[in-house]
Amino acid sequence: MALLTLKDVSKIYKQGDIEVHALKGVNLDVAEGEFTTVFGPSGCGKTTMLNLIGALDRPTSGHLLFNDKDIGTMSKNEQALHRRRNIGFIFQSHNLIPVLTAFENVEFALQIAGDGKGSNSDRVQNILEQVGLGTMMHRRPNALSGGQMQRIAVARALVKEPKLVLADEPTANLDSETSKEVLEIMVRMNRELKTTFVFSTHDPMVMEYAKRVVEIRDGEIARDERKG
Amino acid sequence: MMYLIRIALRNLLRRRSRTLVIGSILAIAVVFFLLIESVMVAMMDLSFKNAIDFETPHIEVSRQGLIDEEAKGNVVPLEETFSISNSTEETIAGLADYQAATPVLDFSADFIAGRYTFPVLVRSIEPDSFSQVFYHDQYVQTGAFLETGQSGVVIGERLAQFFDLDVGDYFTLRFRDRQGSFNTMEGEVRGILATPHPDMNLRTVFVAREAAASRLGLANDAANRWMVRLTQRGSAPEQSQELQASLSNSQLVARSYREAAEFLVAVEAWGYIETYFILALFLLVGAVGIVAAVILSALERVSEIGIMKAMGLRENEIVRVFVIEAGGIGLVGGLIGCILGALSVGLFVIYGFDMSFFLDIDAMSAFPLQGRLYGAWNTSSFFFILAVVVAIALLSSLLPAYTAAKKDPIEAIRRR
Repeated sequence: MALLTLKDVSKIYKQGDIEVHALKGVNLDVAEGEFTTVFGPSGCGKTTMLNLIGALDRPTSGHLLFNDKDIGTMSKNEQALHRRRNIGFIFQSHNLIPVLTAFENVEFALQIAGDGKGSNSDRVQNILEQVGLGTMMHRRPNALSGGQMQRIAVARALVKEPKLVLADEPTANLDSETSKEVLEIMVRMNRELKTTFVFSTHDPMVMEYAKRVVEIRDGEIARDERKG
Repeated sequence: MMYLIRIALRNLLRRRSRTLVIGSILAIAVVFFLLIESVMVAMMDLSFKNAIDFETPHIEVSRQGLIDEEAKGNVVPLEETFSISNSTEETIAGLADYQAATPVLDFSADFIAGRYTFPVLVRSIEPDSFSQVFYHDQYVQTGAFLETGQSGVVIGERLAQFFDLDVGDYFTLRFRDRQGSFNTMEGEVRGILATPHPDMNLRTVFVAREAAASRLGLANDAANRWMVRLTQRGSAPEQSQELQASLSNSQLVARSYREAAEFLVAVEAWGYIETYFILALFLLVGAVGIVAAVILSALERVSEIGIMKAMGLRENEIVRVFVIEAGGIGLVGGLIGCILGALSVGLFVIYGFDMSFFLDIDAMSAFPLQGRLYGAWNTSSFFFILAVVVAIALLSSLLPAYTAAKKDPIEAIRRR
């Protein structure tokens, strides 16, 4: 069964009198545990698609089903609750909360989700160790490198064991070595936790890690390819 | 919620200078309020105390006509005298907190000594009972207070200075008697008073009632006021009302010291209005500061707001972060203000200040006060002002906090 279904999803932005068709009748199914990359040049609609899937925005038309529930028709509060329970986000700029330590940034996400699955402290420590930051968990973001911050962002997205992790160009601000490390962590998490990942990227290296590549051009799916 | 508080408090620490600057504005408002309130409370408390001890005690019984003429600023009318019946005296003595009562016969006169004349209020008294109601006899500077059956006059120090009089010097009182004819009383100055009530030291002279009544053409037991002292000040308004109910069939009116000292009550009310008005101005400046702080904070943390929304925080939860921050600024300002206020009030309570230094003597003579004024502690004011400052900080942050929380998460996340 598909975790995520996009049915004829369109998104139109209005810029003054001009209408920009960011997505044009997109249809897509994402199964549980998939590791999918949405690929395409800048401005093709990747981020718009991720924003819609993440319930940060609403489609202009069409249906967006998450476990058969239409998230496009949810109220703002329902969308917020859906995000806190089901979705983890990783952004291009790590967007950590600067006044919290690495540990607290991750624990905060867990507290918001409030799923009560065991001790928060142990889970946070465990995930930070898994992303290789076990010794730096009490540092604040300004005392960490870009790669370390992005690893915390990964840990923050994964700690609540969401059904879906959305990553919008997660390696765009990282050097190739750090990008590799971060991607490998995500692949491992996908394998171990069976978490569904949907990435957006225009970095060909990222695609090497994906099991499925969805290419978007001018707001439409141009290619949808599963590997091996 | 714990994390929302933690984020808010750490942001307050992160922006220490801003927190302290806005907190300082609020602290100034708090210090100002506490000091002025202490002055007001001390001043009014002492004013009422001096009025009760030297001018109008807890309850005064008189005729309505006397009250009306006094309100118009006219001379004391001798038509409004009365002789109190035994049953009324018993009613007065039966008041729950009754301590003592004394009859007083006031009249207007000119005090003459040498070539000079000065208009005064002559208070004709029965010295024994008068000293149970008032404390003049404890403030005799030279000579002695009146004794029953004694002739002569007791005057205040400022009147004595004005006429350059001493104990044993001669005086003349010129006045109109009951028939409207001029009459006089002569004699020696028996004593000179230096009370804490400036009016008593200048414009009031004391003579024995018996001697005055005959010169005024009145019965020996004539009085125009019965002054009643209670064991406690707080019950005066209530017992005055009780007494008034008992006197409803007579022509007499019972008033508490608060009704009799209308001027002081009005000054008290205006004093508080002024204090709260100035406090409101300070707090308005503080509130504007808090609004600015929340707006700045929101602008600096747009991407943080975005990520919190993406993580699933609802708008009202994000509002809480900013409101807690504003409340924190209010609390910091309020606490600093309370500490500085406590120090200032403490100094005022210990050392006081010379009232003549702040107000000229004519302005001060409107108050039954002189010398040094010492501050009063009012603990509830500290809690009140702290709660007000925090509440204003919270309220003024609501609108900018809601505006911040309504930011589109997609736009917010993109911003750095």
